[in-house]
Amino acid sequence: MLLFQSEEWIDKWRQRNNLERGEVLTVQQVWELSKLWYHNRLSMDYHGRSIEQVAEVFRQAGLTSDFWKV
Amino acid sequence: MKDENLLWQIRHFVYQHLADTTMPPSVDVTAARFNLSAEEATDYYKELHNRHAFFLDLESMTIRMANPFSGIPTDFKVHANGKTYYANCAWDMLGIPAALHADAIIEAKFTESNDLVKLEVKNGKVTNPDLLVHFPLAFSRWYDDLVFT
Repeated sequence: MLLFQSEEWIDKWRQRNNLERGEVLTVQQVWELSKLWYHNRLSMDYHGRSIEQVAEVFRQAGLTSDFWKV
Repeated sequence: MKDENLLWQIRHFVYQHLADTTMPPSVDVTAARFNLSAEEATDYYKELHNRHAFFLDLESMTIRMANPFSGIPTDFKVHANGKTYYANCAWDMLGIPAALHADAIIEAKFTESNDLVKLEVKNGKVTNPDLLVHFPLAFSRWYDDLVFT
């Protein structure tokens, strides 16, 4: 996942590399996702996530488009 | 047959080692910690790699990624708890303070412009909230190519 100043820079990068547009989130959205996704990563009890748990994290983060379909 | 309990203890040790030292433990360090042979520790590393607990460079048998931490320097540097970590990507640069439950100063490089930017996570809030992160692959394809993703 790459960091950009603006949509213009994303378009420039995509065109230069002939890449499809993926999904673009703001840093605020990614911070909210990070807290849900990584808060327990250092725990002894963390053994990965089920598909249902991944779907729930995305739902809580407000990521509901097809891009985030599990 | 691997000991499931030991497998997850090793995963936890790898992450704790990263949090404490900023670098992943080598196979030898992990073998010594758990009183295993290097061959046994390698097998546990491979099993954790296969289960996506972390991502190994299979040639060197070193940990390349234990998300959000990177085992190699990247364009996403995270200063937290008096240490400097490397994140795998623009998502993981925020994942490190989330995983450590710590404030952080992040030094990152924008793609395409190569300009540098500093972000801060403080008291649960992030600065520069309107900057953009591009996710190239849909979730269903994340494990097709972890380095690209």
